[in-house]
Amino acid sequence: MIAYYPQIKAVHVHAIGLSFAIFFLRGLLMLARSRFTNHAALRYTSYTVDTVLLTAALMLATMLHQYPFVHHWLTAKVLLLVAYIVLGVLALKRAKTRQAQILAFVAACLTFAMMFAIARAHHWAGPFASLFR
Amino acid sequence: MSQTRRLWWGLGALLVASFSVLLYMGGEIHRAAPPMPEAVVADNGETVFTRADIETGRTVWQSFGGQQLGSIWGHGALVAPDWSADWLHREAVAWLDLRAQQAYGKPYAELGAGDRARLEAELKPDIRRNTWDGNAKTITVPAERAQAIAEVQSHYVSLFGDAADTAALRETYAMKNNTVDTPEHRRQLAAFFFWTSWAAVTERTPGEASYTNNWPYEPLVGNAPTSSNFMWTVFSVLFLIAGIGLLGWHYAVYHGKDKAPPPPATDPLRSLVLTPSMKATAKYFWVVLALFLVQIFLGATTAHYQVEGQEFYGIQLAEYLPYSLTRSWHTQLAVLWIATAWLGTGLFIAPAISGHEPKFQRAGVNFLFVCLLIIVVGAFVGQWFAVMQKMGLAHNFWFGHQGWEYVDIGRFWQIFLFVGLMLWLALMGRALWPALKRRDEMSSIVGLQFLSTVAIGLFYAAGLMWGEHTHISDVEYWRWWVVHLWVEGFFEVFAVAVMSFLFVKLGLVRGSSATANVLFATIIFLSGGVLGTFHHLYFTGTTTGVVALGASFSALEVVPLAFIGIEAYETYMHSQATPWMARYRWPIMFFIAVSFWNLVGAGLFGFLINTPLALYYMQGLNLTPLHGHTALFGVYGMLGIGLMLFSIRCLKPDAIWNEGRLRASFWTLNIGLSLMALLTLLPMGLLQLNAALENGYWYARSAEFMGKPIFDLLVWLRVPGDTIFSVGALILAWFVFRLWVAPRNAPLAIEDGEAARS
Repeated sequence: MIAYYPQIKAVHVHAIGLSFAIFFLRGLLMLARSRFTNHAALRYTSYTVDTVLLTAALMLATMLHQYPFVHHWLTAKVLLLVAYIVLGVLALKRAKTRQAQILAFVAACLTFAMMFAIARAHHWAGPFASLFR
Repeated sequence: MSQTRRLWWGLGALLVASFSVLLYMGGEIHRAAPPMPEAVVADNGETVFTRADIETGRTVWQSFGGQQLGSIWGHGALVAPDWSADWLHREAVAWLDLRAQQAYGKPYAELGAGDRARLEAELKPDIRRNTWDGNAKTITVPAERAQAIAEVQSHYVSLFGDAADTAALRETYAMKNNTVDTPEHRRQLAAFFFWTSWAAVTERTPGEASYTNNWPYEPLVGNAPTSSNFMWTVFSVLFLIAGIGLLGWHYAVYHGKDKAPPPPATDPLRSLVLTPSMKATAKYFWVVLALFLVQIFLGATTAHYQVEGQEFYGIQLAEYLPYSLTRSWHTQLAVLWIATAWLGTGLFIAPAISGHEPKFQRAGVNFLFVCLLIIVVGAFVGQWFAVMQKMGLAHNFWFGHQGWEYVDIGRFWQIFLFVGLMLWLALMGRALWPALKRRDEMSSIVGLQFLSTVAIGLFYAAGLMWGEHTHISDVEYWRWWVVHLWVEGFFEVFAVAVMSFLFVKLGLVRGSSATANVLFATIIFLSGGVLGTFHHLYFTGTTTGVVALGASFSALEVVPLAFIGIEAYETYMHSQATPWMARYRWPIMFFIAVSFWNLVGAGLFGFLINTPLALYYMQGLNLTPLHGHTALFGVYGMLGIGLMLFSIRCLKPDAIWNEGRLRASFWTLNIGLSLMALLTLLPMGLLQLNAALENGYWYARSAEFMGKPIFDLLVWLRVPGDTIFSVGALILAWFVFRLWVAPRNAPLAIEDGEAARS
């Protein structure tokens, strides 16, 4: 299985990029008060990309024997992922006020940036990893 | 004689004839079963194995999950090898090695093609020779073979323990360390594997096929499909075409002649009076969903073991919940939640049919519910202790793990379940009694429903027909009575009768035409279904007669599926008959899904592995779960959900259904199942089939082949489909949860008024 590692990692990374791009686009549509924010095509594309992303992530974890709740950097990523999903749902759908929507969108983008930094650093503190090493 | 009476006589005659043949052949299977020796001895006088070794070995095999870890004669789980085929190949190679060393002074693998061919040609008659002595009740093997047997035995003793040299193999086979508790038990387990392999290669009569009709395919020892295997394959296809032709003619002449009655202005079921016992069935449906979700989780875990044989994302899961246990519970729960949905539907609908609520019916429904919970929990706890080797062999049969796929709970729990089914039968009977006594156009359909209830209750008893040491061929015969006849046969009759009854009750079909249709459909699928049981038994130590009957009649099972599109269209048209039928849109969509998966899962993927020649190569490969998942969930699961939704619609007549949730659930379940089939099971099965055809069956199941990266990749491709499927199940559970917790209710009068206006 390790033979496919570069390809699976590439799929994972590209899926992350695409997933965030779709989320960001929907965020901009939300800011523009567009009726396309929650259009079925965008939603279903997002579900598909996220499923691929998740599958590739599980495959990488198994291949490298690095697991959430065993290795801290993956634990941090998974917890932030949950926060990212909640913030995303608030931004695009659930938040009651416009202010809350915008706030949730900005927070979701920051959360994503933190996850990205953690993944790059392979350390739970992400951009601040050097402080804890 | 009226048409209905003629059909009843036809059904009666069919059942008498079919069961007479089924039972007679059961006797034949018993008489012709591979012999169980008192001892296997070497020609130098040494005892290789005793009968006690073989029988205790079988109990050991059953205690760790039996058919839930690897398979015997092709029946069982898929990740570990088929032990009979694996032993056969290893023994043949070990024996060839001994001869190669003797003749050429080097291992068999290092010989040239000519020398290998010579040794193989010499080995075939030696390994196939039947040395069973019926008087002494012994099997005699050459000392040289005994040496080869000892080598293979030591491999298994290592594999089922925790030796380092077989650690990688255990990981690939998803076996926990120390799968078997003691070295002595491992040695006895090997004795059982030897005996199944001996039956697979030993010629029943000189020059003829082996006891297992030459299964598995193993070119090294001359195991290849028999001529009758080929011929009955061809004949079965002819029977199928002839059957389709005949049924097509029947449809053209008789079908659709009755005009449907004008639908009522309002939903007749809205006026249904809910009795206390009907209301008490709600909890059955809650449990159905809970079991369904647990089953999915266990299925995902079982599939994950194909990638990480002992771990689950860093957790040493095999130490607490090994593969054979997750698979046991996954397969058991599939039957249990579907059966619970049907039992609940039966209990809900019986008072609705008769309009009669017997005394203490509610108490009976509640009591049965508690019994079912105790059975599930008790049986599963027993299986955990057995698989973890904490129970010991003495109590395993009664309270632990019987190891027979789908009927593997301990005998005590089986009896308890049978008693529960008798209680269900009694509750159904007393509620249906006034309707059974009535003589109107519904009599026959109610009668058929009650008969299927009786059959469901009684036929589970087939699972009690074997004892702890009954011959494996006899066990397989009775086991398939339960798995094939009980689940695939009488549950089907029950479902058809219930669905027809519902459409009659809704005023969309006339009682007389529904009765004729149900009786005719029952005759058609039982005409193939009863004797079709034998298609599971081609290679379980049976004779050519079983192959012939199984191939011919199981092909007929596919005949009605060729016309299932007509049924699906009619069902769809019922949903369009009147505006108020929109209330039943989603139960009916699930019924249409049943038709689709009946064609694809049962018809196409079932027939793919059905003929003797196809099954010879495909048995126990991933093409089996391809049929299993798409037919068991696709047909019976969808049916269970459809019936559950129908019952809930009546249980909660005023609730506003969240259409979006049901739509999402319906499509995600169907898409998820399709992806599982097409992205993983079908390609894996086809790759394995190619490997089996080219190298022998053992290779298609070997660690060497299944360890290839492509298989890991294909297993991972289950994740998208399984995720989508799980989301569907969660949405369905949430939908039902919200019907009871903070539901949105519509005033009765407004909706009825709208229906009346339109």
